Amino acid sequence: MLEVTSISKTFDGFKAVNNANLAVGKGEIVAVIGPNGAGKTTLFNLITGILKPDSGKVLFNNEDITGLSPHEVCRKRISRSFQIVNVFQRLTVFENVQISVLSREKKTWNLFTPSASLAIKETDEILESVGLLKKKNRTTALLSHGDRKVLEIAMALGGNPEFLILDEPTAGMAAEETSRCIDLIKKLSQTMGLTILFCEHDMEIVFGIANRIMVMVRGGTVIQGSCEEVRCNEAVQDAYLGGSDVCLMSGGLKHITA
Amino acid sequence: MSRKTLFWLGAGIIVLLLLPVFLPRFYVYLVSIILLYGLLATSLNLVLGYGGIFQFHHAVFYGVGAYGTTLMLTKTGLPPMLAFIVGPLVSAAFGLVLGIICIRLSKLYFGMLQISLGSLVWAIVYRWYSFTGGDDGIHGIPIPEMLSSPKSAYYFTLIITLVCLFVMWKIIQSPFGSALQGIRDNPVRSEMIGINVRMHQLLALVLAGFFAGVAGSLFVVVDNTVFPDMLFWTFSLEILIMCLLGGWFTFLGPMLGAAVIVALRTFVSTYTDYWALVLGIIMMLVIFFLPNGILGYVEEKFKRGFIEPEIEEQ
Amino acid sequence: MDAVYSIIPAGVLSQVFVGLSRTTILFIVASGLSLILGVLRIPNVAHGSLYMIGAFTAFTVTKLFGGGSAGFWMALIIAPLVVAFIGLIAERGMFQFLYEREHLMLLLLTFAFSLIFGDLVKLVLGGEYKSVPVPHIFQGFVPLFGDLPFPLYNLFLLIAGPVVAILLWLLTNKTKMGKIARAAAVDREIVGAVGINVSRVFAIVFVIGCFLAGLGGVLVAPTVSVTLGMDHNLIIEAFLIVIIGGLGNIWGALLGALIFGLTQSLGILIWPQFGIIFPYLAVVVVLLFRPTGLLKSTW
Repeated sequence: MLEVTSISKTFDGFKAVNNANLAVGKGEIVAVIGPNGAGKTTLFNLITGILKPDSGKVLFNNEDITGLSPHEVCRKRISRSFQIVNVFQRLTVFENVQISVLSREKKTWNLFTPSASLAIKETDEILESVGLLKKKNRTTALLSHGDRKVLEIAMALGGNPEFLILDEPTAGMAAEETSRCIDLIKKLSQTMGLTILFCEHDMEIVFGIANRIMVMVRGGTVIQGSCEEVRCNEAVQDAYLGGSDVCLMSGGLKHITA
Repeated sequence: MSRKTLFWLGAGIIVLLLLPVFLPRFYVYLVSIILLYGLLATSLNLVLGYGGIFQFHHAVFYGVGAYGTTLMLTKTGLPPMLAFIVGPLVSAAFGLVLGIICIRLSKLYFGMLQISLGSLVWAIVYRWYSFTGGDDGIHGIPIPEMLSSPKSAYYFTLIITLVCLFVMWKIIQSPFGSALQGIRDNPVRSEMIGINVRMHQLLALVLAGFFAGVAGSLFVVVDNTVFPDMLFWTFSLEILIMCLLGGWFTFLGPMLGAAVIVALRTFVSTYTDYWALVLGIIMMLVIFFLPNGILGYVEEKFKRGFIEPEIEEQ
Repeated sequence: MDAVYSIIPAGVLSQVFVGLSRTTILFIVASGLSLILGVLRIPNVAHGSLYMIGAFTAFTVTKLFGGGSAGFWMALIIAPLVVAFIGLIAERGMFQFLYEREHLMLLLLTFAFSLIFGDLVKLVLGGEYKSVPVPHIFQGFVPLFGDLPFPLYNLFLLIAGPVVAILLWLLTNKTKMGKIARAAAVDREIVGAVGINVSRVFAIVFVIGCFLAGLGGVLVAPTVSVTLGMDHNLIIEAFLIVIIGGLGNIWGALLGALIFGLTQSLGILIWPQFGIIFPYLAVVVVLLFRPTGLLKSTW
């Protein structure tokens, strides 16, 4: 569904992304992992149009979407959540998601109908599916961090996407919030049929839900493969553990830091 | 909108309608000025408070609208009512042009470029004696008879201002308004949910320019004059002050700010020549103690005690 | 020289050089604003008022010393210091608490200051035109362009400009304080995290910026009538110069001032009625192609 080939981006001489490759099949859940600064968020920015690549291509459903601006990418039904919480601070939870829905329905050029009367059902449905319906009238400033991250996802869902990119969805969440988030991601994949690309630092989550994993180090793709392949790959061990012989067993090392 | 708010609004409008019956001419003139300044400040707030755009030189649109109307009235033989439409359209066009030029820049640079373009316009108006009257401006502008008395000018201003405020209110409540506020809060996020940020901001600038132009035309009706200082950057800063003083995340804040500033200025000027000093001190107090303006402060106070109407969680 | 005059008439050259000497004033004031805007990120609308205070102080000091040349030289030292002191009080008293706030708030605060300063000057010194005499040494003319007399004082200004530029460049690039200031302009948090007292650095930069505004005011005083309203005219020009030059960039301020001053002189020569439009036009053209300024900006 999504094919990223040899994509690169340099900032002032620093190669943030260096010939990275990524392939995501329809219906899959793919994780991108790598040490801090490996370029994962930059990669996501390149895919979603926030940054323009210096070279390389992004194909979505066989259509070339390289270099499209973010709102055009969104129209292709690719949605995204951000690593640092990026919501509309002065608006309520409901309004945050509602804008997303209104945007999808191309209603944002409507100057005269009160928004309060539009898209209520669709917005409520999304809020229900992520578990935020009860808090719909709260301003985002009053939400817990975990709830805000879930709101991020809800806003991404507003665009009725086929493809969802989640940038560290559980970062900063408490344990209970984390497991709820994981259940949500599983539900999105299984019940709603979304294809999901995400990145995480928590290896347990990664190995728990991903079908395939892509490992990024210093801007480039080291390997993309199944969980087993990645676990026992020497290059990955080199990058993470500095050349140890340990084969990462599940339940073993939970968090990898570079 | 709640019943209570509607009641107060209705009462306020009735008071405004009855004012000329009770007040002497000068005060009627003053309220007219307050109304149109309020309209002007609200139009600025449309892009500033609700859109997050650093519109540093809003006075340009006001002045262009005023000059546009004036030139139509004085230089052409066309029907006067046409002049009142052309003025705002010209300023809306200005909004579009300036918008297209400046919109690709981020925040402060947008403001700076707008200031330079605005200064260019001011310089041209200031020097083009034969066309715009230069630094003298144009006086004694012929206004159609039915609008020329202070009372009729007042009612005209009142009606137009109310209509424009209503329209702007509708716009803010609409999906476009929501999108605009989203852009204010987080332009990256907005792009990512499919909103073409630039286009939306451009439309907001055109609308703000239009309503500012309406305010300019109203000034021509009320004061029968037009002069280059209407386009000078210091006036832009005064409009900003009105928004800040009244509260720029609220809808009626700018109108309140305009009322306070005009009233204070008139009052203070009868006692002293040093209105600028007084205004400067007031501004400092507002910046330090009332950063959200008067209405912003009031809103905060009221919302503090509120318990959520929805179901509270454990 | 005659060969040059056959291509460019002496009158034009003379006008150009007069324009350039005005450029010195613009540069000095703009460089102060550039420092304040570039390092502290304060759009200092009061900069024009500080310039005006410098000019009025020059008048007062000159009068105090009998109205002669000695007065001017004393004013040259005292006035900028007075203005710098005012800046220090404003920064320590108010600005330092507001750095976290949005630019708009800072802008409006400086505007409040400019209103207050303007009226205070009116209060203390009255609204009539004041004049400051040109110091003895620089009275008179120099036959610079064939027979056309060129005012000696303007020659002094022409030389003073680059001198100040070099001094400023040394200050910002070769001193430790300058380097810290430049680093703090780009990222104040990191500089603070390294243990440097960013607050003090900011105060010093602000004071220097104000000093420069005052200096500009003193230097311009003998060439124009010192009036209320000189602040308004200058501040827009200073802002535009800073923007086209690049925020925080001293050479940018010089370049910007040159562009502004030259286009103004040439403009008035070519098209007297609309001559003043040319600098604004030049600014618009520059910003269309290089919105962040011609030279590197600290933002």
